[in-house]
Amino acid sequence: MKNNEPGDQEEALRKVLKEWRVGAALPPRFQEEVWRRIEQAERAPAPIAPSVRAFITRWIGTVLPRPALAASYVAILLAIGVTAGWAQAHQETRRVKNELGERYVRVLDPYQTPRQ
Amino acid sequence: MKKGVLILVCGLVAAAAAYGCIYFACTASARSLQRTDIPELAWLKDEFNLSDAAFKRVSDLHAAYLPQCRDMCREIDAHNVKLQALLAGATNMTPEITGALAESARLRSGCQSMMLRHFFQVSQAMPPEQGRRYLSWVKEKVFLPDYGMPNEK
Repeated sequence: MKNNEPGDQEEALRKVLKEWRVGAALPPRFQEEVWRRIEQAERAPAPIAPSVRAFITRWIGTVLPRPALAASYVAILLAIGVTAGWAQAHQETRRVKNELGERYVRVLDPYQTPRQ
Repeated sequence: MKKGVLILVCGLVAAAAAYGCIYFACTASARSLQRTDIPELAWLKDEFNLSDAAFKRVSDLHAAYLPQCRDMCREIDAHNVKLQALLAGATNMTPEITGALAESARLRSGCQSMMLRHFFQVSQAMPPEQGRRYLSWVKEKVFLPDYGMPNEK
């Protein structure tokens, strides 16, 4: 029972550690390698990607399914789709009409008519 | 999480579908113009809001003009060949070159007169307001004195 006292245990551990000897040799340039790794770890930027990913995942899982937000999200994307489609179509129509206008002139003007 | 992803995908699909539908609906008129037999005339009808009767008159004028235009093209091409041959070995002005340049000017003037006559006829075949707009547009396209330089507008 006496051996279970905390002071005795510490004493025993200290004794064991004093007697402990490491037989294996250190790998070559061990210390230098340790310092290199420490420096490398200090230079490396803080890993932000996982936290951003976690934030997005959490947002999709918990915030997006709220009915009001989900409806707004779909409505906004729908509006973006409609606007982009209209703008692109407007541009394409104008391009085609300009091209046909030019073609009309080319057909009538012998100095612009394409030769075979 | 699954519900969130579903909403995310639904939004993207809705946006893509809206884009496609609007794009195809709004470009339908341009596509139909391109599919016609003579797209440039179909464009003229659309651009100047021509009635079927006015379009028929314009189409007849167009058809009557094209052979004259082709004859003029042949004449210009033949003259250009002659002019190039004269210029190829020339190191000084000669009476032949002067004559050929005068002929070039005569051809250009004849060509412009022929076109202008046709444009006036076409504008008169249109309703007055559209005719004026047509003349203003076509004169700018054909008679703009840019001397082959790009427009600075």
